[in-house]
Amino acid sequence: MKELRALAMEQRNMMALLTGAVLIKGLAMVLQALFLVLVVDGIFMKGDSFSGIVLYLWGLAGAVLLRSVSGYVIGRIGVSLSTRIQTNMRERLIRSFANDPLQASMEEQSGRKVGLLLDSVDEVDGFFRQFIPQMVQTAVIPSILLIVILTQHWATVLIILITAPFIPVFMALVGMRTKEKADAQMEQLSRFSGTFLDVLQGLPTLRLFGQSAKQKEQIRSSSLGFRDSTMDVLKSAFFSSLALEYISMLAMGIIALEIGIGLVVFDNVTFFTAFFVMVLVPDFFNSLKDYGSAFHTARGSLSAAERLTATLERDPTPVAWGEREMTAGPKTMTLEQLSFSYGTDFAVKDFTATIEPGSQVAIVGKSGSGKTTLMHLIAGLLPTESGRIGIGGEDRRTLSEASWFRELAYISQNPYLFAGSIRDNMLLGMDRRVEESELLAAAQQAGLLELADSLDEGFDTPVGEAGRGLSGGEKQRVALARAFLKKPTLILFDEPTTGLDLRTEKLLQEAMQKLGGQATVITVAHRLHTIRAADLILFLDDGKLAASGTHEHLMETFEPYRDMVRLQQGGIAG
Amino acid sequence: MRELREVLFFVLKEKRDVLLSIFFGFLAGLASVALLASSGYLISRAALTSNLTILIILGACLKLFSLTSALSRYGERLFSHRATFSMLSSLRLSFFDKIVPQAPGIYRKYRSGDLLARIIGDVESLQNFLLRVFYPPVVLAAVFLATIFFTSFYSAQLAWILVAGMVLVIFLIPVLFAWRMHRIDIDVRIARSSLSTDATEFLYGFRELKIHREMDRRQEQLRTLALDYGERQRKAGLERNFNQSISGLAGLLVCLAVLAVGAALADAGELDAIFLAMLAMIAIGLFENAPQLAALPSFLEESRQAAVRLDSVTGGGERTGHLEAAPLAKEVVFEDVSFRYPQEARDALKNISLTIPAGGKTAIVGPSGSGKSTVMALLLKVLEPSSGKILLDGQALADTEEESWWNQVAPVLQENHFFYGTLRSNLLIAREDSTEEELHFALAQVELSHFPLSKNITEKGGNLSGGEKQRLAIARAILKNRGIWLLDEPVSSVDSVTAHQIYRSLFTANHDDTFVIISHDLSKLEEMDQIIVMDGGTVVEAGTFAALMAEQGYFYKLKQIEKTVFTV
Repeated sequence: MKELRALAMEQRNMMALLTGAVLIKGLAMVLQALFLVLVVDGIFMKGDSFSGIVLYLWGLAGAVLLRSVSGYVIGRIGVSLSTRIQTNMRERLIRSFANDPLQASMEEQSGRKVGLLLDSVDEVDGFFRQFIPQMVQTAVIPSILLIVILTQHWATVLIILITAPFIPVFMALVGMRTKEKADAQMEQLSRFSGTFLDVLQGLPTLRLFGQSAKQKEQIRSSSLGFRDSTMDVLKSAFFSSLALEYISMLAMGIIALEIGIGLVVFDNVTFFTAFFVMVLVPDFFNSLKDYGSAFHTARGSLSAAERLTATLERDPTPVAWGEREMTAGPKTMTLEQLSFSYGTDFAVKDFTATIEPGSQVAIVGKSGSGKTTLMHLIAGLLPTESGRIGIGGEDRRTLSEASWFRELAYISQNPYLFAGSIRDNMLLGMDRRVEESELLAAAQQAGLLELADSLDEGFDTPVGEAGRGLSGGEKQRVALARAFLKKPTLILFDEPTTGLDLRTEKLLQEAMQKLGGQATVITVAHRLHTIRAADLILFLDDGKLAASGTHEHLMETFEPYRDMVRLQQGGIAG
Repeated sequence: MRELREVLFFVLKEKRDVLLSIFFGFLAGLASVALLASSGYLISRAALTSNLTILIILGACLKLFSLTSALSRYGERLFSHRATFSMLSSLRLSFFDKIVPQAPGIYRKYRSGDLLARIIGDVESLQNFLLRVFYPPVVLAAVFLATIFFTSFYSAQLAWILVAGMVLVIFLIPVLFAWRMHRIDIDVRIARSSLSTDATEFLYGFRELKIHREMDRRQEQLRTLALDYGERQRKAGLERNFNQSISGLAGLLVCLAVLAVGAALADAGELDAIFLAMLAMIAIGLFENAPQLAALPSFLEESRQAAVRLDSVTGGGERTGHLEAAPLAKEVVFEDVSFRYPQEARDALKNISLTIPAGGKTAIVGPSGSGKSTVMALLLKVLEPSSGKILLDGQALADTEEESWWNQVAPVLQENHFFYGTLRSNLLIAREDSTEEELHFALAQVELSHFPLSKNITEKGGNLSGGEKQRLAIARAILKNRGIWLLDEPVSSVDSVTAHQIYRSLFTANHDDTFVIISHDLSKLEEMDQIIVMDGGTVVEAGTFAALMAEQGYFYKLKQIEKTVFTV
């Protein structure tokens, strides 16, 4: 709660404005009561004629207007404060997502992050829009009212000062008792809605096994059980507000009695004072009650706020870049003692290799041996924790990010297609005009032409949110077409392990050959022909370079490689 | 409003609790008005007399009304919340009832789990319908009417002013603003959904954006959308705040009018001045809670949309046939079957014909996206062909009652759901009356004997690896064991040695059964009676392993590629 409050306090102008508006509202409340009492007092006690109190009525109208306007301004500031802070949070989140290099390799967390950006930020709304304005009001208005009442009748203030503290004390007592219960309830709530979700998600399975009727019964009983336990907690919450209400009523009763005695028995209180106090006192207690309900709203924002702070406080190391433009053409690449870890365990450790310009490099190793991490390091998508990547003899950190990526293509196993047409997806990131003939040529080389021909709208066919409607092989072809248009000098290729159709297999082979003509190609290789054709094979084991060399060299000198190939050959034999 | 009919029905089902909440709400509202009124009257009274009885009555009235008000408020809250939670429970069940006949088909339409989460959110958000939309106006109107009735004994004019105020504050203003709010809320929703779509693309397409130097542009675009969403939210918030202020101001002005007219009447001698304070306090008490109603249209709209969304999910109608499925004696035949997913431009399956003999082992192979799983979904009657027929021993699957067909098959899907609970409870889904021995046997068959049956399973089987889930799904099929095995990529995440072990025990234990196995793994297909090779939504070739290899066609070539792929 502290962090959120600090966020509000940062908006100094707004908070100052808010305080001002609240002061005016307090004043308006006093004036409203005053004029109301003056009207009644005039007519009823003093026997004034209507014309005698018209001025007071105008005063009352003014006070009512002032109260509404200041109330409106307070609400307005609450809305502006809340949306401003929410927008700031969203901007910070977007920046933090964009600068987090790990995002490239942690796709599975993307859904959670979308939820953070939309839902969690939405959930803090209540805190700023309702709680903060109410907090200021409760800090200011009761004091104003007390001061005014003090000028009229000090005994009332004394009674208030004695009774009012019972409210927070009592709330704290009830709160302590119910907090544990409420927390347990929150847990049950999330578990319950989790169960419902679980059952809904598993419905296909349940139906195929003929179990859906039984599950319905279970939903009914858990739903009702959940209702009853929720009611238990709510009962104590309602009871605490009952008690709160009752304490304030009791206080008002005592005050009324005291004033009444003054009015009736001792005659030392005027009707004016009595009525004035009786109008102001409920306002005092209402302000306290409103704080209670606003506090309840604020609590709802806290867990969302915790999630947000946890994300925003992470401070990922960005990939380091320089200013110098990289010249075109393939270059010698030296990987010197590269290391990277995702936390505790090293994914890549002390990796050293030299890659000649225009060569074909195959990275092989078991799954989990760090192949993809190494590719991300080479691509400049992850920062090196230690070590250095040299490009044409120079540290890559001196090159500009834009000029580096201009020369790079990365073809992954499952390329992402963006909402838009096939054409849009082919042209992703092109900063020059591409002639239709060039587009067609690239499409032809990537084997996209017949796909486009088979679709009514050709290249303008929309491919949905995640490129739905295209098979894995077709997505690969779009990624290839991108590469043909880009003409990169470094190509990183994560070879598909399985599941490609014959035509895409053939296309990928041919295309890689064509693309490789003027570029260095580094492949996470699963196919024997890729590995055999490589000028350099890097054999990874547990994040370390276990051996390197050509196929022949490794066959002669490195037993694990020999085993791997033999196993594969065994497959051919049988 | 038509959309909310069902919700309304469930609200009315909780008649007793709803009536009690209205009653207590009415009592609470009336008592708090009475409290203010009596304090106004008694103070006036007390000012004129030095009679102690007045004081005693004063004290007693204040006590009585305050106690009544507080207690009734408690009762109102209690009953209204109980009614709400009972209503939610009925809604969940009714929703469940409606979605059951559509599962599993609907799950193919909405692949993401997000949709289901949203559905749950929608059901939960309908709680506001009862709590904030349905009964508060009834309570408020009743309190108004009772108070106006009371006031009319003192002054007809003042009663009319209150009537006018009531119409203005609980009817005219909310309706007027509901109309304005509607458009603003639509803007907010549109802005939110474009932000959501873009954020999704930004995060999932991160690597592509980075490499194609689109990062900055996209980031800026996303930022703009976030700003836009914030701006629209601000507008909506300001509008809502304005509504409440206007509503509050209107109430206060009505109070002012009551006071002014009351004063004029008293001056003219038409009203005893002693009642002036009381009447003024009545007006104040009455309009105190009116601004809450300004939020009603928003809640109404929110409930309406939730209801519409729920309706759109469940509104698919039933598709099941009426004929019982007899035990499969001869064969399943696909006759010229085509299928196209809704909203897609191309057929996923194009005129395929194939025969699956009873008691035979059929493998369906082909690259990803070739239509294998669609064949399986059609075979399971999860999807219906766009054209063509599927025949079970000559009986159209379309006319067959789906439950009776499912009763005959033991399926393993690509996505198998595991529920929060224990391993035992998850296995018992397959057959409730399985004995301990049978459970252990099934686990042994899938080489998972080391798992205790009491093992905890977290939601969606989060604590199981992909391979373990597949093996447990097979264990379920073994427990169900109905003679027809429909297995869609059952062992794609299991290491090949274990996978072959599992196949071997399955085939040995059930060698007379019908097997349909979808696989992209081409090894060990020699024992299959038939291999159907698919590509691009068509059947390219079919035959035994030996025949296909001899033909040197598509299968042969796939086999050649597979031989060169390392699968370490």
